[in-house]
Amino acid sequence: MNNRRNFLSGAGAITGTLAAASVSKVAMAALPEPVLQTTPNTMPPLMPSSGRPYNPVVTLNGWTLPWRMNNGVKEFHLVAEPVVREMAPGFKANLWGYNGQSPGPTIEVVEGDRVRIFVTNKLPEHTSVHWHGQRLPNGMDGVTGLTQPAIRPGKTFVYEFVARRPGTFMYHPHADEMVQMAMGMMGFWVTHPKTRHPLIEEVNRDFVFLLNAYDVEPGSATPKIMTMLDFNLWSWNSRIFPGIDSLNVRLNDKVRIRMGNLTMTNHPMHLHGHEFLVTGTDGGPTPKTTRQYEVTTDVAVGQMRQIEFLADEEGDWAFHCHKSHHTMNAMGHDVPTMIGVDHKDVTKQIADLVPDYMVMGERGMADMGEMEMPLPDNTARMMSGEGPFGSVEMGGMFSVVKVRKDQKAGDYSNPGWFKHPKGTVAYELDGPVPEGPRQQGAGAAAMPVQNMPAKNIEVQVRKPGAGHAGH
Amino acid sequence: MKPAFRLSALAAVVLTLTGCASVSIDDALKETNARSEPFTQGKVELSRTKAQRDQRAALTNELLSRPLTQSDAVQVALANSPSLQALIAQSAVNLALANQVGRLPNPILSFERVRLNDELELGRLLSFGLVDILLLPQRLGLSRSQAEQAKIQLTGVVIDQVTQVKQAWVRAVAAQQALSYAEQVNRSAQASAQLARRMQLVGNFSKLQRARQQVFYADATTDLALALHAVTATREDLVRILGLDEAQATRLTLPARLPDLPKAPRDPQEVSKTAAQQRLDVQLARSQLDLVGRAQGFNLLGTFIDVEVGARRDTVFDNAEGTQSTGRGFELDIRLPLFDWGGARRDLFSAQTLAAANRYDATVRGASSQLREGYSAYRTSYDVARHYRDEIVPLRQAIADENMLRYNGMFIGVFELLAEARAQVTSVRRAIDAQHQFWLADASLAAAVIGRPGGAVPAMASGAAPAPAAAAAGAAH
Ligand SMILES: [Cu+2]
Repeated sequence: MNNRRNFLSGAGAITGTLAAASVSKVAMAALPEPVLQTTPNTMPPLMPSSGRPYNPVVTLNGWTLPWRMNNGVKEFHLVAEPVVREMAPGFKANLWGYNGQSPGPTIEVVEGDRVRIFVTNKLPEHTSVHWHGQRLPNGMDGVTGLTQPAIRPGKTFVYEFVARRPGTFMYHPHADEMVQMAMGMMGFWVTHPKTRHPLIEEVNRDFVFLLNAYDVEPGSATPKIMTMLDFNLWSWNSRIFPGIDSLNVRLNDKVRIRMGNLTMTNHPMHLHGHEFLVTGTDGGPTPKTTRQYEVTTDVAVGQMRQIEFLADEEGDWAFHCHKSHHTMNAMGHDVPTMIGVDHKDVTKQIADLVPDYMVMGERGMADMGEMEMPLPDNTARMMSGEGPFGSVEMGGMFSVVKVRKDQKAGDYSNPGWFKHPKGTVAYELDGPVPEGPRQQGAGAAAMPVQNMPAKNIEVQVRKPGAGHAGH
Repeated sequence: MKPAFRLSALAAVVLTLTGCASVSIDDALKETNARSEPFTQGKVELSRTKAQRDQRAALTNELLSRPLTQSDAVQVALANSPSLQALIAQSAVNLALANQVGRLPNPILSFERVRLNDELELGRLLSFGLVDILLLPQRLGLSRSQAEQAKIQLTGVVIDQVTQVKQAWVRAVAAQQALSYAEQVNRSAQASAQLARRMQLVGNFSKLQRARQQVFYADATTDLALALHAVTATREDLVRILGLDEAQATRLTLPARLPDLPKAPRDPQEVSKTAAQQRLDVQLARSQLDLVGRAQGFNLLGTFIDVEVGARRDTVFDNAEGTQSTGRGFELDIRLPLFDWGGARRDLFSAQTLAAANRYDATVRGASSQLREGYSAYRTSYDVARHYRDEIVPLRQAIADENMLRYNGMFIGVFELLAEARAQVTSVRRAIDAQHQFWLADASLAAAVIGRPGGAVPAMASGAAPAPAAAAAGAAH
């Protein structure tokens, strides 16, 4: 479904986003009508209908902002405003964003384009936009107080510069930054090369998304803006698994994925089944001599990375941050480990006080992925996602690259689960399991130990199969 | 001397008169029953025959065959309590003494045998205190006043007893109800401790983490022991006040919960109106004032003259003459107050009058103050209990529900879940406490309305309000 409304395509495309009570109609008359996006779905690429041609990107669970040409200048209109973002089906967050969504729409331009961006502030406080990574006149850099006055609520500012170098960029506020970023104010920016560039490959599919994180108390909807590091929702484009769309490609497509990190920590991004090259960083395309094949690349805080690979293996390939807590949704950080603790008989006592009580965590946390127990209102399950073989037990920064022979070029729709050729799925062994080798002792050490506990502690290990099935 | 005493007719009249005026204990009980109807349902009586006692025993047995409600408890006390019977009997004694005042002292029969030479004189004098007779109306008045006082006192005693029964019942039921929650907390604490022990056993908990859970269990065990004792103590208190023997005590069962709060609290207008009509202390003070007044009038008279009147019949046998003659006549002795004209006694009595009048005044003023305080205690405990019921307990429940959801999502662990559950139980206990305080205050107010606030519940009037408030502040547990 394409809910994108191109203000160039005439009547009906005009949205009522701007009640504009606080924005002067007269002033607005000179501006491009702002375009609103109402769903968090991944929109098909926006083929350029004016200006220089380019090969558009696809924003994961997002969209590209339409523009208008005005005497050779590409004009965009960003409206900073509070939005309600569906972060996963059944879980919505009160965020701040642009043009109806957080993150805001991707801005796509071509190297050498003169760009004019109108920024209207409909937030309750002042803002500004910093064009992260761009070469531009200092006064267009968007740092409140340093290079410009703040954009007060109800005001519209105009930024104008030439997109000088091709590459992967972001935009975000540089006013009350901690709050506004924690609330989801950010967007992607792609500057396509004007002509063929020796270091920039033509690709069949070009995906973009931002890594972002929120701290939303289960049962509530607004992020806690004071959180420094202990976020509980790790998202791509303000979506969390299972809310993140899959990256659907055709077999042997050349695929580029661009990622920008606006969280407070690094994310080792890991792709299954393929090796990729890091072909671009914040500084633009990387020299070929620096490229090496990898399956994981770390995206540090405030960085952009673009990776490229040939999708030459059919299947549903996991693609995720390798920090395992980042593939979880909200969860308690102070919950004791119950593994190996048989507490079924205590359950009755507990249930006396807490009637709905059920044993969890005795075997690990996978129970959580399987059990469908009621949660607080407006809360995403810590881990879930129903795959063809059961629960995927994931959350947060996780998605799937779907490589299909019969995916049509330009078709970004989800082809469904992979149909594995016969004999290519891991299977259960029939018959008795042979006794495995056992660990003997703690092994040698590099140096003699000092100040160890006096006694050798006997650590007890409980193995599964001790006769408690059927939770 | 058989025909001799025509005067005995007079005595008979007097006796009849006084007899009519005397108040029997049964009349007094009837009146007490009427006065204390809301307390006793008119079931106060003094058992004197075996049949009566059997009937009461049967009633007690029947009431004990089911969980004893508060009003049943009152009935059991009225039917069964020997100490209450003793108090009623004591009232009967007081009443008899009061009646005595209204009767003439027994006539004095004096017999003289005088021999003088041949003469033998047999003198017989039947004498009554003349003043006793003359002042019979006053004596009757005094007697009536004293009897009235005795009756009021009897009613007061009954109401004290009933109030004590009601409060003892409330304490016993509340203690029992609190016990079941203490048991719940203890079970949860036990589960936590048990779980923590196993956590440490398999290496998931440190000694410190386990000790934290264990110490809570240890504390909860103390609380449980205290709660258990409270049940015994309050129950035995009730047993004593109901006068149950051992066999009856074993059969005593109580309802599982205190009665719900009334839909609305008593209206202060209704309370003060009822009090104005019923206050026993005011009635008593008025009667005392009356009594002093009468006593004064009577005794002042008595100060001036102490008169004895007698009927005389003297028979003189003259052996010499062989005659016998009978002389008849009245004899009047008047003690002249030559040495004590009664000034001192008059002073004493007017001082007593003054004291009684002031006591009456003080009683009336004190009564209204006591009522205001009693009502405030009652109303505060009602509001607090209702606040617990309508606000705090539902909020705790909502917290518990939300916590369960958070446990489901693994946002909190089982120990946190249990800790919250215990917090919920604690607030339920406080709610019971508040309800407990309310029913004590309710009984206390009922007693205050009828004018027995001090006797029945010394500390209650001021003690009711702070207790739940302290509980709310978290200090009571
Ligand atoms: Cu990560």
